Amino acid sequence: MREVIHQYGVELEWVTDIAPKLGGYVDGNNIVVPGEARPGTRFILPINDNMTAFVVDVTYNEDVIYRLRNIRDDFVGVYYNLTEGDAVHILDDVSRLAGRWGCNLAVFDANLGGDYLVKMGCTTFMLAIFIKKSALKNYFSKTEQYDQILDSVFDSEKNTIVKFDRMGSQAWWLMNELRKTNATGALYETMVIGTVYGLLCDYLDQTANQEIILEKVVQEDVVNIIASQAYLVEHIEEQFAGITKLATDANMSETKYKRLFKKIIGITPNAFFLTNKLSFAKEKLETGNYTVGEIAVKFNFTDASHLIEQFKRAFGITPKEYLTLL
Amino acid sequence: MINKRLEFTYHYTLTPEWQQQIVENLGATLIDNKLLIIPEEIASGGSVFLEVLPGLSVHLLDMTFHVPVAITRAAKDHNYYMIYYDIGDEITTHILGDTVHQAGYHSKLGMGFMDSSVTGVIIPPVNERSYSLRLLVDKNYYKLLAATNRTAELSDLLFDESKNTLFFYSHIDSRSKVLLNKLKEDHHFSSSSFELKLKHIALYLLNYIVDRTADFEPIINKLSQQDIDNILKTSKYLLDNLLTEFPGIPVMADIAGMSGTKYKTLFKKILKDSPSNFFSNEKLLLAQKLLQSGDFNHINDIAYELGYNNPGYFSRMYKKMFGFSPVDVLIKSIY
Repeated sequence: MREVIHQYGVELEWVTDIAPKLGGYVDGNNIVVPGEARPGTRFILPINDNMTAFVVDVTYNEDVIYRLRNIRDDFVGVYYNLTEGDAVHILDDVSRLAGRWGCNLAVFDANLGGDYLVKMGCTTFMLAIFIKKSALKNYFSKTEQYDQILDSVFDSEKNTIVKFDRMGSQAWWLMNELRKTNATGALYETMVIGTVYGLLCDYLDQTANQEIILEKVVQEDVVNIIASQAYLVEHIEEQFAGITKLATDANMSETKYKRLFKKIIGITPNAFFLTNKLSFAKEKLETGNYTVGEIAVKFNFTDASHLIEQFKRAFGITPKEYLTLL
Repeated sequence: MINKRLEFTYHYTLTPEWQQQIVENLGATLIDNKLLIIPEEIASGGSVFLEVLPGLSVHLLDMTFHVPVAITRAAKDHNYYMIYYDIGDEITTHILGDTVHQAGYHSKLGMGFMDSSVTGVIIPPVNERSYSLRLLVDKNYYKLLAATNRTAELSDLLFDESKNTLFFYSHIDSRSKVLLNKLKEDHHFSSSSFELKLKHIALYLLNYIVDRTADFEPIINKLSQQDIDNILKTSKYLLDNLLTEFPGIPVMADIAGMSGTKYKTLFKKILKDSPSNFFSNEKLLLAQKLLQSGDFNHINDIAYELGYNNPGYFSRMYKKMFGFSPVDVLIKSIY
């Protein structure tokens, strides 16, 4: 397994640092890694003094573990990551699959590190945006919601910017436009910049509707919350474990646990659990091998009508109607 | 009450300075060097001008004029191309030189690509919302972008101003239309993410236009303002007479005051199609509207309305262009 201990940043010194660790070299705006399964792209584009984009479009021919250890802490990384295959968040010594529930959009303060394993054969399409905190602050300053708390949001003593999320439809669309473009050279650069601006706009629009939770977070907290999230998914067929147990497992008070879960994942543990239960139930339903009643039992709903009611609330239609649409 | 038409002239620059003319001539307010607010007695709304990259600027205009105006864009700076998208609720009347590009829903060519050395005049509708976007692209930068999907030889020829003028009019392609419609619906100048959105859209539109023009058959010709005016006079003639039969090249060339050969070449250069194909495509686009208008009960009625003698021929042409038959989209009259 290849171990890559690296850093990112708006300034580009990380590029020459990471290239040999990946077994490659820098060629213009690209990091070239010889011998990869298909000619991949690792494209770095400084957009302005405050922003740098990094596009990764590769198929891995070996296992790689990335250990992000930033030296600079003046930026935020926004990662749009479409990886197919086994990619794993490493949490202490435990590996958790970053599977379907896992994020494909991560927003990470530079002062948080993280470990991430990508298995051989994985195909990754990722766009990372490194943006200076001062520039991001400036964007947020035009948002009403941030009026009173802007300074606190960007005060590292009071708050850490961190979020694991799923891309919305606009972000998906933008990533796919970038992925399928056949532009090259200067035209490709305009496509990358256009995509970055589109994604940032979408990110601002999304956060404008989300509750802001101020909390200082350390790497250990993030690890514990992701572990807790993984636990919920692994026990998705059972009843909700309860905040007391989850908080104890995460080594936090219940209040802190609930706050951090919501801050990092975006919704409460309860809502997260139910939403995922319903998506799994929906998937089982799609196989056609189970009745609604059987699925209600399998996923520990009180009864079929409880499942139907929750299903309808989440997806807008009943399971029966959904099946006829397939 | 009859208002005298308010006339004024301005010219663009790739950088924000041009906006000063609007401040001085129309009494507009300029905020942050990018937001122009026009005095309410002339128009409601305003415009945003942003420098997206060195060599690319975008101007978005969302205004409802309250008095008749004629706005002339003078050919002063020659260092940029202008790509124009009209996404207004109603059709803006364009004049290039002295050619009035008259309105009518069937006659809307929503986009134009022009050299800054060609003068343009716009007569926006009164009391209708005008919504349009312009990309201003430095000529050298555009050449660099366009060179990525052409041979160097062709690229040099296309961009040699002593031999060729880049200029065309067309419908807005569907990818661009989707973006522009979304911009028009969702976003307001004041929202915090608006500048990012506008820059994103400017860059995507630029990609789409370079991609699209790569498929155009290169027609190398230097155009004079008069050539352009004359050709647009004939395309306007066709668009105004979609219900008739094609008048024939000799008649069209005569209107343009050119030889038949020159006329065909220049028409194809500017409208990206031969006059007769252009005419029949526009007819079919109009047919599309009529089919969905709910005003007709039979395909034959529409075929005759559009000047086809043979409804079967109309149906075949329609299917060829859209991939489905007219009957598949006909919305019958409810009476």
